[in-house]
Amino acid sequence: MNAEPVLSVRELVVRFATDAGTVHAVNGVTFDVGAGDAIGLVGESGSGKTVTSLAVMRLLPKAGRIVSGEVVFRGKELTTLSEHEMRGLRGKEISMVLQDPLSSLNPVLTIGEQIAEAIRAHEDVGRRAARERAAELLGSVGIPGAGDQLERFPHQFSGGMRQRVMIATALVLHPKVLIADEPTTALDVTVQAQVLELLHELTKELGTAIVLISHDLGIMARMTRRITVMYAGFVMESAPTVELFARPRHPYTVGLLGSIPRAGADGELRPIEGAPPDLERAPVGCPFEPRCARRIAACRETMPPLVPAADASHLVACHNPVPS
Amino acid sequence: MNARVPLLSIDDLRVHFPITKGVVLRRTVGQVQAVDGVSLELSEGETVGLVGESGSGKTTLGRAVVGLYRPTSGSIAFRGTDLGTIRSEDAKGVRAQLQMVFQDPFASLDPRWPIGASIGEPLRIHGVGNRRERRTRVGELLDVVGLPRRMAGRFPHELSGGQRQRVGLARALALRPALIVADEAVSALDVSVQAQIINLLQRLQREFGLTYLFIAHDLAVVHHISDRVAVMYLGRLVELASGSDLYGKPLHPYTVSLLSANPVPDPAVEARRQRIVLPGDPPNPASPPGGCRFHTRCWLRERLGSPERCASEDPPLRGLASGHTVACHFAEEVADSPVQRHAVGAGD
Ligand SMILES: Nc1ncnc2c1ncn2[C@@H]1O[C@H](COP(=O)(O)OP(=O)(O)OP(=O)(O)O)[C@@H](O)[C@H]1O
Ligand SMILES: Nc1ncnc2c1ncn2[C@@H]1O[C@H](COP(=O)(O)OP(=O)(O)O)[C@@H](O)[C@H]1O
Ligand code: SF4
Ligand code: SF4
Ligand SMILES: [Mg+2]
Ligand SMILES: [Mg+2]
Repeated sequence: MNAEPVLSVRELVVRFATDAGTVHAVNGVTFDVGAGDAIGLVGESGSGKTVTSLAVMRLLPKAGRIVSGEVVFRGKELTTLSEHEMRGLRGKEISMVLQDPLSSLNPVLTIGEQIAEAIRAHEDVGRRAARERAAELLGSVGIPGAGDQLERFPHQFSGGMRQRVMIATALVLHPKVLIADEPTTALDVTVQAQVLELLHELTKELGTAIVLISHDLGIMARMTRRITVMYAGFVMESAPTVELFARPRHPYTVGLLGSIPRAGADGELRPIEGAPPDLERAPVGCPFEPRCARRIAACRETMPPLVPAADASHLVACHNPVPS
Repeated sequence: MNARVPLLSIDDLRVHFPITKGVVLRRTVGQVQAVDGVSLELSEGETVGLVGESGSGKTTLGRAVVGLYRPTSGSIAFRGTDLGTIRSEDAKGVRAQLQMVFQDPFASLDPRWPIGASIGEPLRIHGVGNRRERRTRVGELLDVVGLPRRMAGRFPHELSGGQRQRVGLARALALRPALIVADEAVSALDVSVQAQIINLLQRLQREFGLTYLFIAHDLAVVHHISDRVAVMYLGRLVELASGSDLYGKPLHPYTVSLLSANPVPDPAVEARRQRIVLPGDPPNPASPPGGCRFHTRCWLRERLGSPERCASEDPPLRGLASGHTVACHFAEEVADSPVQRHAVGAGD
């Protein structure tokens, strides 16, 4: 493990108050990101990936609340920071890229204005200088004719161009951490490759640590050094990427890998039967228990802690892990 | 080869959409050549996968097959009968043989109807059986797609995405079709549910001898389910081959880049493969490039010193190996090249 993580999330619990009751969205999530490192959060929809990242950024919607846990960024506890202090960090120290850039870009501002605004929110530079930086930035992400493009509005850009702009904007102030939540899910394979390449190049050049969120195990294999697997708001397993694919220990991870068609693995897929649990019920025991072929008596009683499996870097939360 | 008539033959199909301007005085200012000269045959019981970038014409082709779009030119024949010239009293019966399932069955299910009514609707429209018989058939269809019969009374919003997709399938199966066009039918589903639906599709195919035209952007899913795979680019078919040939020995430069760009869930392959990242976005299908439509982004053309032929002459689909056709003037350069091997992540 890296010496000193730049971002460390500990036992994070987030709940939503809704008309129907309490949604237990995140139930004790723990992970670390070292400086310049690339880690992945993987899980199916509703597993709490987005809520986790919004909580780290302190951007939860009104109904959402961090109930307990810690988010430590370079030694500073973020969960108790004032909104004013948080604003100084967001976009400058920790940045975020979302799945659908249209929803995070302001439709009535030109692309140039948006980037310039992001710069001027944190740095005391003039309009002209900010605009020049914006033009430079568009050029650096492979958008040709940067000067003219600055005058265009977000809807005049293709999905791939918008996502490149978002990534560039998120990195313009050289943050220490970038959280990218399904940044290419809406894109075509070839455009996705462009965006992933850009993400990789820029974060490497700037030494930015990246938390990549995706349900796509192929992207995880390509982009990350370590993977944290989430299910129903819990961390089920966390291991170096190569190790996780080679020796998954958690029954859910094994099920996930058996569900995806892979070259050379012909024959029927081995899906996980059943469906994920209802998060409106307070979790008791292991949330995977109703679908798990390896369940034992203890599984209904207590949620197993996340502990080292074979070696210290491979963590598993399971009473009866798959033998390696 | 036997001389049997294919289940479906698509011949030089064109589906163009007019681009109109003006609200009061609508005038046509151009044509989107969504599908532009596609020929493809499907044999009984096989699955043909269809891949290609967004806007390449996959959905348009699928919708034309089930009769939701009228061909601008060319023909579609079902068991030898041209659907364009069929007598109208026969048309209904033939149409019933061709069904489609969509990415979001939510959109095709009436939110105010219990799902049992939606599944039974095609039966009602085609006047199959009486009320009781239809109810029994709906029950059977629920069994077939693995939903409990008591779910017939539920409404679409009360179901999960995977359950809704099972309902969409049940509805498509109601009239005992021969061919199902599945347009991104598993794309919106989580991987564990996606795998359940893929297995279901394969079981239904074995049970009922179904033929599938399976449209999806997920290359691994298409590989898994398809016997043959067709690749589209800007309204054209650019490559067609068996699954193992297309994924193992792709011949069209576009297919090569598509495969090389596709992330695979194997860190060892990802670490060693060389990706070909295409520049720019796909061109606008309203004004596709002349000559080879891929020439504005083609890495092979660049390596060959930008031959003029690519920009001036439209490459026809031609057979290069048995059962393997490709539309590229220079596909021989790709065959057995290191680029081809690296793109598919094969070791040295
Ligand atoms: N009804 C229509 N009217 C006008 N243009 C259309 C219509 N339907 C499709 N098109 C255009 O035809 C082209 C092909 O569209 P189509 O939906 O077939 O693509 P696709 O390959 O299915 O893409 P995706 O992967 O995004 O589903 C696109 O440029 C699209 O905008
Ligand atoms: N604003 C909200 N109000 C109530 N519940 C929410 C809200 N946002 C998310 N949730 C719930 O929190 C859980 C985790 O959601 P999310 O983090 O978005 O999942 P993921 O990103 O992994 O798909 C889900 O059950 C979701 O329905
Ligand atoms: S704790 Fe028990 S139920 Fe949960 S994954 Fe492990 S064996 Fe299965
Ligand atoms: S014909 Fe020329 S431009 Fe088209 S794919 Fe082949 S090499 Fe590329
Ligand atoms: Mg999400
Ligand atoms: Mg489509």
